[in-house]
Amino acid sequence: MDNIYRPYLMTISDMIDEAPGVRTFRLNFSDEEEGNKFQYQTGQFGLYSVFGAGESTFCIASSPTREGYIECTFREAGRVTKALRELNIGDTLGFRGPYGNVFPIEKWEGKNLVFIAGGIALPPLRSVIWNCLDLRDKYKDVTIIYGAKTIDDLVYKNELKEWDARDDVNLVTTVDPGGETPEWTGKVGFVPTVVEEAAPDCKDTIAIVCGPPIMIKFTLPVLEKLGFKHDKVYTTLENRMKCGLGKCGRCNIGCTYVCKEGPVFTAEEISKMPDEF
Amino acid sequence: MEKTLNKNNFDSFITGLKKQGYKTIAPKKDNKLVTLDEIQDANEISLDHVITNNSIKEYFLPKTEKILSYTIEKNKVEMKEPEGFAVKSVIFGSRPCDAFSLPVMDKVFNWDCVDKFWVERREAVTIVTISCDKFDSYCFCTSVGLAPDAKQGSDVLLTKISNDEYLVETVTEKGENLVKELESVFSDPPSGTPDRQVATVEKKFDIGKIKPWLDDNFEHDVWDEFSHKCIGCGACTFVCPTCHCFDIVDECSMTKGDRVKNWDGCQFKMFTMHTSGHNPRNTQGMRWRQRIMHKFKYYVEKFDSTLCVGCGRCSRVCPADMNISEMLEIIETEAGK
Repeated sequence: MDNIYRPYLMTISDMIDEAPGVRTFRLNFSDEEEGNKFQYQTGQFGLYSVFGAGESTFCIASSPTREGYIECTFREAGRVTKALRELNIGDTLGFRGPYGNVFPIEKWEGKNLVFIAGGIALPPLRSVIWNCLDLRDKYKDVTIIYGAKTIDDLVYKNELKEWDARDDVNLVTTVDPGGETPEWTGKVGFVPTVVEEAAPDCKDTIAIVCGPPIMIKFTLPVLEKLGFKHDKVYTTLENRMKCGLGKCGRCNIGCTYVCKEGPVFTAEEISKMPDEF
Repeated sequence: MEKTLNKNNFDSFITGLKKQGYKTIAPKKDNKLVTLDEIQDANEISLDHVITNNSIKEYFLPKTEKILSYTIEKNKVEMKEPEGFAVKSVIFGSRPCDAFSLPVMDKVFNWDCVDKFWVERREAVTIVTISCDKFDSYCFCTSVGLAPDAKQGSDVLLTKISNDEYLVETVTEKGENLVKELESVFSDPPSGTPDRQVATVEKKFDIGKIKPWLDDNFEHDVWDEFSHKCIGCGACTFVCPTCHCFDIVDECSMTKGDRVKNWDGCQFKMFTMHTSGHNPRNTQGMRWRQRIMHKFKYYVEKFDSTLCVGCGRCSRVCPADMNISEMLEIIETEAGK
């Protein structure tokens, strides 16, 4: 019988420091055959492990359109992420996944897309942003609204530049008041306020929101005010998880297991859940 | 298949099990406590207790168990699968409530993907239950749809029919095979209707009223009220035969280690705390709501089964004298308002 807790062995093939304490790893399957069989869809997550330190849950931050590797972005915060940061190119780590449901990007074809992210929550959206940009013809206008505490805390700085330079992407970046420098040309203000100012047109538009619970809580009413129907707004949740397989018993919000029925939910689904975020 | 087993034959039954290569686990006197533990001899078996202090759970979901071993050399890691965790055993003298917890938990460990550590142990262990001929004020099996002589989850059920004699009923094929293997220690069933000595446990609440109330009362004062006494020690979750929440951690030296699954519990603050410090279940009241909701609503909706067998252990061990059946009685009263 297969051991559902057995991870794939992955080799770190590249890394980049995104922001203070935040790093991205590019991971290749140590066993090529396993890598060839491996498939995932945007929105899914996994359990990354440092042997000797333990497992930690993050999304897959890369797009399935980029084959041959997966990427994860993490902030050093606890035991496992500290151990992750001590690893170097060529080192081995473990990965279990892909788990959870997906962003239904086929359903969004022919529509405008508005991505809204705060802080370290851009990685899950980065996967779906690149997935849609790699299939650019299938979607109409693409807007990305991204905010962090300070300029320094914005992650994927190179990719932000790349999106900013593209004619087919409308990028709005913002930092919290006090997080700017005199040279800052982006917005200053919290994400919900900036969304309200940017006022994306709700007609034929899908909004995808990801951020700390407090940001999501304040952004959903703004979108509602702008006319976005609940079933046109998507988010991805990240509760504390240990198994990712619907057994360890902690990621549920009411009856809903985030690891199995999520992590991707519509605002309509969220509105039916009890207030236990 | 029906047989009888004389108390005087327990000795040859246990010896017989040993000869057949079974490890035997039974209620064993351990100072004042009676604990389900490995025994070598029938003399060690306790027969006059109400319920063992530990539940049957730890023989299927141990307090701590290896789910992976590995060695680390420079940047190379080699993984090794744990072996030998499923040992051919008989659990003799467990209670019907404990036995019933097993098919209830099968559901969570088998849905969608199969946890082999649970499943292989389930296959390796045969359950010989003894019906309860006594009970205490904490027992409430009949309130959650069970009975002191319920058969679900047992492979063989023994029920006292006289001071020295037990009626033996096989419940599963596995149980029947066990009885056949040790045929000589059993006698023929009694003629006529035997006098089954089974405790009469009165119903404390109507389970039918609990879930409909829970459906409508995620927000209610009772959750905080229930939790006022709670010190968050989590003992209730550890002794519970159906609490199955676990943690996964690494234990290692510089060059080798194990990934282990450890018991965890919803009453701990850290259980749901995010890395950021944000905690979706921030108060003990929220954690009690989770405990009751998981057992009497969420699990019912997901797996069509209540995640409680009415053993009452949580209330027996609670250092703050909290009592789950009293809580359910309060909910029943609220439901009637």
